[in-house]
Amino acid sequence: MIGKQGRVTGKIGPGLVGEVLVSVRGGVEAFYAHPTVPDEEIATGSIVVVVEFFPPRTVYVARALS
Amino acid sequence: MPTEYLVIGGVVLVALLILIMLFKAFWRVAEPNEALIVSGLGARGKSDTADSLGFKIITGKGTAVLPGFQNARRLRLDSRAANLQVSCVTQQGIPVVVRGVVIYKVGDDLHSIANAARRFLDQQDSMNGAIHELFTGHLRSIIGNLTVEDLILNRERLTGETRASAADEMIKLGLIVDSLQIQEIDDETGYITNLGKPHAARIAAAARIAEAQRDQEATEAEQVAAANKAAAWRDSQIKQAAYQAEIDEAMARSRQAGPLSEASARQEVVVQETRAAELEASLAEQRLQAQVRKPADAKAYETVKLSQAERDARIAQAEAEARETELRAAAQASQVKQAAAAEAESVRLRGEAAAAATRATGLGEAEAAKARGLAAAEAARAQGLAEAEAAKAKGLAEAEAIRARSEALAENQEAVIAQQLAENWPQIVEAGSRAFGNVDHMVVLNGAQGVEEMLAKALTLGGTGLGLVRSLLNGATPAPAPAPMSSAAPVPAPTPVSSADPVPAPASAPGGSGGRERSR
Repeated sequence: MIGKQGRVTGKIGPGLVGEVLVSVRGGVEAFYAHPTVPDEEIATGSIVVVVEFFPPRTVYVARALS
Repeated sequence: MPTEYLVIGGVVLVALLILIMLFKAFWRVAEPNEALIVSGLGARGKSDTADSLGFKIITGKGTAVLPGFQNARRLRLDSRAANLQVSCVTQQGIPVVVRGVVIYKVGDDLHSIANAARRFLDQQDSMNGAIHELFTGHLRSIIGNLTVEDLILNRERLTGETRASAADEMIKLGLIVDSLQIQEIDDETGYITNLGKPHAARIAAAARIAEAQRDQEATEAEQVAAANKAAAWRDSQIKQAAYQAEIDEAMARSRQAGPLSEASARQEVVVQETRAAELEASLAEQRLQAQVRKPADAKAYETVKLSQAERDARIAQAEAEARETELRAAAQASQVKQAAAAEAESVRLRGEAAAAATRATGLGEAEAAKARGLAAAEAARAQGLAEAEAAKAKGLAEAEAIRARSEALAENQEAVIAQQLAENWPQIVEAGSRAFGNVDHMVVLNGAQGVEEMLAKALTLGGTGLGLVRSLLNGATPAPAPAPMSSAAPVPAPTPVSSADPVPAPASAPGGSGGRERSR
């Protein structure tokens, strides 16, 4: 999981539960996403990389393309 | 023997069947949309964590299950839909009834499957109830924080809020939400209806305005069209009248066409008659040519030819006569020649006879003469030698004189010329006096002196000739005959002058005329 790239489908930010779609297990699944850097906001449509994975469905992400 | 084979074959078949049935009883295969949860003896999950699950999760493949020791059950992973109906109050305190649907499924990862299996394995059909309760509670709280406008318009916020509030519970249950849709919002107070009314009124007003404007435009267009139609009708009438006039004119012309065509036909007849008359005149002329002129020409030609033939005949006759005369003369000449030849032959023969006689006598005389001659020859030889000596001496003297003269000529031409002039003086004086030969009467005014002057002038004429001779001698050869040149010398001098003079005059004339043109 860690190191995979994904696309943000729900806004990620402090106090929010974002959503990212990540290609995994031969399909694409949605994960609940939180920012790695506190107070960072990642808008919908951004590409992110998974930094931490908390099973079953929580990931911490950072911007893949600055 | 065959019975034994049959028995062995039957036993093998039965054993095979038993094996297949055992395999089928042992082996379980998980479909793509389900997970096999195997629990029991030795069912240790291959989890990456140290803690054992206590059961095995199989997805997408088969596994052996020992009947009696192990138990395998299926957990459906496909999506499920739960209908939601929530009566709640919005942020503005407006009671609404919201109907929606949530589409969810068991998560595909092992953790989600484990969570879901622990919670829902025996009550998979009651999952919808639990989800309904869960989502109605969350929706109630979410909608309490939203306005009706947000609910209708800001779908992103609704889903975001739902995710934020339901995420933890869904993780605990091992479920994931694929979609949450608000299908219907029932508004008892008519808020939503009233919310749309200003807009509806505005739209209605705009529609009426637009309708009125379009009506006005349509009316204007209709009036314009009517005016255009009237104008078109008027134009059409005018054109029709014009065409009618043309038709009338054409009809009148057609009525006049009969007489007109008659007149033109008559005119055509007259033209044809005229042409016929012309042809007749031409025929008469041709006939005249053929009958009168051509015979006359032929007669003239005949006459000319006859006279020419006659003339040629006469010429031929004359030529024949001349030839005859010529031939006759030739014949006579030949006759005379033959006679002369005969005569000559006889003369020769006579001569030869005489010669023979003479020779006979001559031989005798010759002997005598020879004796005499020898004596005479001796005497003559002596005399000849003496003469030759004398001639040689004389020739040497002359050669010496010539050489001396040529040297003198080379050294002093004038002296030689003077000598020659002196030698030829009588001829010169004669040539000078020849001028007086043509004079009939000569009146001399000064007496004897005048005659002297005259003679002197005549002699000077000879003198000028002498000068010319000298110049010629200077130029090239020693004078062959200087005296005759003296009279011819003055003549050529004037001619080049007279011929040279006219040449420049024409050359200067064009220049002068050109100058005149330029000045003009």
